[in-house]
Amino acid sequence: MSDVNATIQLQVIGASLRSIAEEMGAVLIRSSFSANIKERRDCSSALFDERGRMIAQAEHIPVHLGAMPDAVAAVMRLGLERGQVAILNDPYTGGTHLPDVTLVSRTVLGFAVSRAHHADVGGIEPASLPAFSHTLEEEGVILPPQLLTDEVLERFVHATRQPDERRGDLRAQLASHRLAEQRIEELCARRGPDRVAAAMDELYAYSERMVRAAIAALPDGRGQAEDVVEAVEGDLAISCTVEIDGDAIRIDFAGTAQQYDGNLNCPLSVTKSACFFVVRCLTEPDLPASGGAFAPVSVTAPEGCLVNARPPAAVAAGNTETSSRIVDVVFAALGKLVPVPAAGQGTMNNLALGNDRFTYYETVGGGQGACPDADGPSGVHVAMSNTLATPAEAIELEYPLRVERWELRRGAGGKGAHYGGDGVVRELRVLEDCRLSVLAERRRHAPPGRSGGEDGARGLTLVNGEEQPPKLTRQLRAGDVVRVETPGGGGRGRPQ
Amino acid sequence: MAILGVDVGGTFTDAVLVEEGRIRTAKVPTAARQEESVLAAARGVGVGDGLTRFAHGTTVATNALLERRGARVAYVGNAGFEHLLHLRRQTRAHLYRLCAEHPEPLVPLERCHGVRGRLGPDGELEPLSLDALPDLGDAEAVAVCLLFAFRDPSHEQAVADELQRRHPGVHVVASHEVAPEFREYERASTTAADAYLVPVAARYLDALAAAAAEAGLPEPVVMLSSGGVASVAEAAAHPARLLVSGPAGGVVGAGLLARRAGFEDAIAFDMGGTSTDVCLLPGGLAARVPEREVGGLPIRLPSVDVHTVGAGGGSLVRRDAGGALRVGPESAGADPGPACYGRGGGATVTDANLLLGRLPDELPGGLVLDRDAAAAALDGVDPAAVVEVVNAEMLRALRVVSVERGHDPREFVLVAYGGAGPLHACALAEELGAEAVLVPVAAGVLSALGLAASEERRDRVVSHVRPLAEVGGLPDEGEADLRYRGQSFELTVRLGGDLAERFHGAHEERYGYADRGRDVELVAVRTAEVTPGPELALPGGESQRLSGPALHELDGSTLWIPPGWEGVRDGSSWVVTRE
Repeated sequence: MSDVNATIQLQVIGASLRSIAEEMGAVLIRSSFSANIKERRDCSSALFDERGRMIAQAEHIPVHLGAMPDAVAAVMRLGLERGQVAILNDPYTGGTHLPDVTLVSRTVLGFAVSRAHHADVGGIEPASLPAFSHTLEEEGVILPPQLLTDEVLERFVHATRQPDERRGDLRAQLASHRLAEQRIEELCARRGPDRVAAAMDELYAYSERMVRAAIAALPDGRGQAEDVVEAVEGDLAISCTVEIDGDAIRIDFAGTAQQYDGNLNCPLSVTKSACFFVVRCLTEPDLPASGGAFAPVSVTAPEGCLVNARPPAAVAAGNTETSSRIVDVVFAALGKLVPVPAAGQGTMNNLALGNDRFTYYETVGGGQGACPDADGPSGVHVAMSNTLATPAEAIELEYPLRVERWELRRGAGGKGAHYGGDGVVRELRVLEDCRLSVLAERRRHAPPGRSGGEDGARGLTLVNGEEQPPKLTRQLRAGDVVRVETPGGGGRGRPQ
Repeated sequence: MAILGVDVGGTFTDAVLVEEGRIRTAKVPTAARQEESVLAAARGVGVGDGLTRFAHGTTVATNALLERRGARVAYVGNAGFEHLLHLRRQTRAHLYRLCAEHPEPLVPLERCHGVRGRLGPDGELEPLSLDALPDLGDAEAVAVCLLFAFRDPSHEQAVADELQRRHPGVHVVASHEVAPEFREYERASTTAADAYLVPVAARYLDALAAAAAEAGLPEPVVMLSSGGVASVAEAAAHPARLLVSGPAGGVVGAGLLARRAGFEDAIAFDMGGTSTDVCLLPGGLAARVPEREVGGLPIRLPSVDVHTVGAGGGSLVRRDAGGALRVGPESAGADPGPACYGRGGGATVTDANLLLGRLPDELPGGLVLDRDAAAAALDGVDPAAVVEVVNAEMLRALRVVSVERGHDPREFVLVAYGGAGPLHACALAEELGAEAVLVPVAAGVLSALGLAASEERRDRVVSHVRPLAEVGGLPDEGEADLRYRGQSFELTVRLGGDLAERFHGAHEERYGYADRGRDVELVAVRTAEVTPGPELALPGGESQRLSGPALHELDGSTLWIPPGWEGVRDGSSWVVTRE
């Protein structure tokens, strides 16, 4: 067989590996119970090779991009055997934040990984996204990497607010692993394990070649930028320097604020995900996800700073909010060298409601920042999330909640040669007494415009018409109304 | 008894006349006015007296939606939810292309209105206020979609009635008439598409019916997305039901052929010039889905579960920056066509097939294929590699509709048609482990044959969204959408017998586990009133043995039988090949 044909064979096997990862994701989404997974698709599935490199990933949201390899590395130290499954959620050993529960299992050739955002993992507030946590322990059960035995499973689910739902979600995750193990076995039987292994190498190398070629096409140079996140105690700086050097990019966060007593801290794995996201947007947006795409990108941050936190720092808002700001800062720093979009809403507007009977969690879309050649879309998730809105009819059938309003927040997008996207207005009325937690950003500082474009409107959170701080946790009475007005995206270029 | 089927495709309009065991076919170019092509094709097969049925598949609705040639539509939703069509489900169009836009909604923001009044899951929360109804301006049609209308249509009906009273010339569509199912965005999107298409579809179907009457043909019946035909009046009333009319005919034809050839389970594989449609037919009947996307818009209506990939015989071949070989989605189209047509086109899958000796040197119709042009365009790329890559895409599609839906393709026959289907079918069947390949002799016009044979069908859906244990008196025939309480995605199972147990079994088959301790929720019940189609007498004749490697010329296509494969041509209706 010619060399060409040998390469094509690998390409064809590679396509099978990608479809296995996608099929895993489909099983997980369609058979799970948490709204976070089934409606919002806050989950990812992936295949890794024997060396622990990510080969193919079905990604539904980008925040899991960089964090999965750390999980596999942690599990490889356990010496996993076939038929065994490991579980973890510890942000400091391969996790992101506690609600993201990761399973890793052995296949005949490498590992299968699934990560899903469970609705509750037993923190001090329903939905395990408290606004005021000070240590990781307050945010829920911490699972260091360990074998998932029946005993571990039961202990975990009973430490959460809805053990039945948690058990259902874990079964859905496990089902996706069984499927991947079976499919990899079939593929190896059909094509031979050596060729499948060679195809894995090629898939990884192919992504790396593509991204290196795209980086090499960008001008070399160095850019620096700074922005803030809105902690209860005051603003915390995130500082970033990027350097494009040939076919590689270095991103460093020297000058960023120290980790602190609140929960906007990020483990480095989340910071890496945010950096990889930006590089992907600027280089090869259509490339199938594989670890090779990120080999040309190095990310460093001083130990113990906000974006490379150490235990026991709380991280609930780091994954959703600080990660959004990291994206803005890295874009801004690269903006000194290449054309980049204006800032988007820069928050996921996390809203959690619950009592002993129910837990409801949602994130709300807003304005995307304008691009060099287009207006920013309105009412969408920007940056590290891309989860679906839960239909009002589904919410009202399932929860003691009423959706009073969901509409575009017209005029919220910054003006410019290209306009930023508009935010949305969303109002929920609670029909029972319950707790409310909101983790949001861009409430004090508006999303900045770029190149002469105007800023987007800052976001607002209101309870019964009264403006609230960016982060809050409080009691609500039946009949109270929570209103979220999400930020608009920044405009780009001078308005004409 | 003579039966006529006419299928309008993007490039050609095909007609099949079945009369006492004889089949006549005709192919004419599709004109801008589809009704003219339909009549021309009918004349082409020589329809005479005694025609008892005239069945028709059309792309008028699909094209109008994709090309945005529908009506000026207004939208009326609940106050506070006016922008629903623009908010969609809040996801962005592309994960990493941040300013990529979704397809523009069918109703612009300035025509989206709200009405006060609100129903909840258990009844009225706020009375309807008809005084504040909007002025519709110069809208030609209006879509009304109110929350919980799938459960209680009273508010929506009152709004629709009042709008109709105030604007007698405007076409009013209420969501509960079209898609009475829960999840407001998908229902609203379907309703808006229906309203958008009504004037276009009505104009076309009226013109067609008039032309048919003038030509002395029976009134046509029209293929719906669900794989059955309905009267012109029914089709014109809710044209969103026509959006998959085109591919549905082929799928029905594939099922007909499989049953006649003695196969139970089939996979339809229709590989054309620019795209390929595949569909599973367990038991010889097309699998259906309750929802699909058309042109980026969710359409919540039953349709045959056709999965489409953007690659076909005319797909262009290229190498990307990382050195990988890519096939499609760009296509050489009909003009200039593949490089071997000698009109300056780029390298395509067809060129690779020619160089591999899987196409004759001259196509029926007289086009001489230029091998040198094909070789020059491929520029050193191994043609076998091109076929391998495109087959991998096809295989992926075939696995999506079979393995990923919990079916083992080894028990299925692959029914291959379309211009390029029979060329690739044997290799795919081998990879898939399919039992055999079945190719219609009329491979180029199978859709028209399917139309001729199709049943009449009226689909109904009743929404429940409540525990299965609380619902009694379900019909014996039809399908139910079920899920475990707390899940968001339903599985569709056949009605009759122990429904809960059937659901547990289906869940286990599809997702690898069942949870018999968990409550099962009934989301919707789907039934159809079906009148079987006519029994067609297909042509017979002498059977003929074929053995690979061989090329076998068919009507509109070429069958490639690889080495090690044997085939039987059964008279003049089909060819079966096996490894």
